[in-house]
Amino acid sequence: MPNEEIPENQAAHRFKKRGFSFESAIRYFFASNAGLTIVILTLIIVFLLKEGLGFFPGYRRELEVYRIAGLEFVDISRKNLTDHEQLTSVLNRAYYAEINGKCGRELLRSQEANALFNAYTDQTSSTRDLVLNNTQAGENKESKILAALGTNFAKQKAKALKSLPATPHLSDRERHDLIESIRIRSLESTEDPALVTALAEEFSNAQQKQAESLIGMRATIDAFDAAGAELSMLVSEMTEMVTATKEKIQDADILEKDRKTLLAAASSAKDAVEREKLTAEALASLADKPDVEGPIKKLLERRPQCSDAHRALQKSVEPLAAQLPESLSQPEASRLLSAARQTFPVFITNLEKTLPAIRDWNDKAPVELTAAIGSFLTGKDWVTGGEWQDFYGILPLAAGSLMISIVALVLAIPSGIGAAVYVNQFASNREQSLIKPVIEFIQAIPSVVLGFIGILVFGSVLRDLSTWDSLSWIPGFPIEERLNIFTAGCLLALMSIPTIFSLAEDALNNVPSAYAEASEALGASRVQTTFRVIIPAAFSGILAAVLLGFGRVIGETMVVLLVAGNRIKIPDFTSGLGSFLQPSHTLTGIIAQELGEVPLGSVHYRALFVVGILLFAVVLTINATAHRFVNKMKR
Amino acid sequence: MDTAIEIKNLTFAYSGKQVLHDVTLDIPVRQVTAFIGPSGCGKSTLLRCFNRINDRIPNAKVTGGSIYVHGIDINRRDIDLQELRRRIGMVFQKYNPFPKSIYENVAFSLRLSGLTKRTQLDEIVENALQSAALWDEVKDRLHSSAFGLSGGQQQRLCIARAIANQPEILLMDEPCAALDPLATLKIEELIYELKKQYTIVIVTHNMAQATRCSDRTAFMYLGKLIEYGPTMQIFETPKEPQTEAYVTGTFG
Repeated sequence: MPNEEIPENQAAHRFKKRGFSFESAIRYFFASNAGLTIVILTLIIVFLLKEGLGFFPGYRRELEVYRIAGLEFVDISRKNLTDHEQLTSVLNRAYYAEINGKCGRELLRSQEANALFNAYTDQTSSTRDLVLNNTQAGENKESKILAALGTNFAKQKAKALKSLPATPHLSDRERHDLIESIRIRSLESTEDPALVTALAEEFSNAQQKQAESLIGMRATIDAFDAAGAELSMLVSEMTEMVTATKEKIQDADILEKDRKTLLAAASSAKDAVEREKLTAEALASLADKPDVEGPIKKLLERRPQCSDAHRALQKSVEPLAAQLPESLSQPEASRLLSAARQTFPVFITNLEKTLPAIRDWNDKAPVELTAAIGSFLTGKDWVTGGEWQDFYGILPLAAGSLMISIVALVLAIPSGIGAAVYVNQFASNREQSLIKPVIEFIQAIPSVVLGFIGILVFGSVLRDLSTWDSLSWIPGFPIEERLNIFTAGCLLALMSIPTIFSLAEDALNNVPSAYAEASEALGASRVQTTFRVIIPAAFSGILAAVLLGFGRVIGETMVVLLVAGNRIKIPDFTSGLGSFLQPSHTLTGIIAQELGEVPLGSVHYRALFVVGILLFAVVLTINATAHRFVNKMKR
Repeated sequence: MDTAIEIKNLTFAYSGKQVLHDVTLDIPVRQVTAFIGPSGCGKSTLLRCFNRINDRIPNAKVTGGSIYVHGIDINRRDIDLQELRRRIGMVFQKYNPFPKSIYENVAFSLRLSGLTKRTQLDEIVENALQSAALWDEVKDRLHSSAFGLSGGQQQRLCIARAIANQPEILLMDEPCAALDPLATLKIEELIYELKKQYTIVIVTHNMAQATRCSDRTAFMYLGKLIEYGPTMQIFETPKEPQTEAYVTGTFG
């Protein structure tokens, strides 16, 4: 009993707490790490908001300039002009689709003959060029080399003649003649084989012949096209006027900004001389207030002229609607024609609506901040770096992101969940140990690698496939663009399958085995147990898996940047499901593409930050919702 | 006395490790037969052989002997397992209602066999819940989640679920192990009622429970059936010294 002698008042008792220990050091180390991540996340959010929120005032000023300089006034008329041009183009496409469709046989024959000849030249041209170049160089004494090159060419020619493409629309006789003409063709000859020329002529004759029966339609289209000339002229004149005003205002804005910087520097300058100097400089740079009133008055003098042009256009176009044919014989042409016939009355009503808009337009109307926000969230145009006017409307980008996500999820949900159900419920141990790592392995593929596989393999294969006659019933086929929403969606599906699979499999795994046991004891088969007990019990977990997959898809950048085609335009929904085969741009892609090129601190730069904030909010919401579902399941 | 289940020289192994040795016994119709014995003696394994629910466990199989249910060898290859399990209901140690409504839990087995007519379903569900002495407690909230019930109620719901498609035999694997004494009492009363209609086999740790509600008792030890006979006889005049040691509590 050694402690008995220690007096009670002594401080150092046996259980005395020692000071700072190694253990608490470790504790503080980990605490600081956790704290750091929170600090960094907060900083990121603060930075995003600081950079982004300046966008709306800046954009408001841009829209204000857009109004006071009169650009907005010109755009009222320009919109109709653009609509007019588009309608003309649709009509023209219908016209040519009809003609080409009617001479489909001739077109195919000509194309096939061409394809055959091109296949031959593609394979032989390199060896042929070698022979020709050397001959021209006059290398006569090197005839040995020339002879070698000659045989090389002959070999290549023979090889090429063996692997020519099929020509189902040419008769055997024609094909034979064509191949024969290629065989006996001289080395130097640059002319196309006779049959190729003949078929091209046959096609153009057929086109002419078909055009005769469509003479009325042609005249209508031409009349329609011509009717826009007056408005077009007027718009381009006005454009010149307002651009000049806008430049003046912008220059003044820049000077004003510089002056403010100088004044700020002056007020913080320490010694009096320096301050004096800076203030003087600032006063000197005080820009003349740009003359806005004069030009706008001049512009508005054209108001009646503008209205007249619209009235004239409406008057000359209105009777043309009735002159269009009811329908055309070719399906593609018919579709285009009916699309045109549908937009025609809309176009005319728009013309009518324009008149009061022109009359009531007011350059003094104030531009509110809410207008800038509204224009950002619901704007249909994302136009940047243009000479006319920049618009930051995210609808085209959001539409692209959304459509790509839809394609990705439509493909990934069934396969991801299906694989998870199979692996969890039906697969043998060996299958499990094969399938699970393989699916999770997909996640290891860098997205940029997946991106170029998408461009080179998948995109090309899909486009080639889409030209098959037997697949032409699929909407949107043949595909015009190799890079489109569908290709990007497919690749993103591949990327999100592992996420959906793993999480859904976890969810299924978390269903207590007592449920399965009870179900089987009640006489349920394996499949019945899976579908009536296991999947319903895991439902919220599976939903969370899908949501997290969606979050992954909408936040993915590299693949969509490489594969989606990057056309900033709301897809043309008139082509139905085919609109999924159009190129598009995305919220993530636009940031990656443009952030490197914008001037620091410009409105454009800030707009990209706001897009970033928006994405951040969307993904955060998705993840939070998914977490709620997961927690619900754990209950 | 008719025999519901006839077990002949049954041996059973989990991945090569033998857990039942040469078990032979007959289980009479419409009586309660209790299996008692220390943990790991194989009584649950034996019970789970009767509806072949052991098939779920990989590498577990009957290695010898046979089980006849109403004269049919249930380990034959051509046995329709789903039909067998419809004829032999089971209640588990830990109550395990599905995450569905009370109604849907009871209707589960009926829906499996394709019954969709609402009136018929309603009737059978009501009967089953009444037989399980649960009807009065839940009739006003049939469509709320089964998880809102107390433990004892959930276990009775599982019994209702098991008897909804009128099995011939009801297997109970320590049905009161997770319940408090009052809930246990209710289940025991229920067993007493149910034996008028069903053959009941119950595994229990609780010897008092075996004396209270069973007609016959089998004592098992280390995978072997030591003694089997009327409950009174097993508890009052056991023939085997091991049985006596166990029922008097001097075991060990």
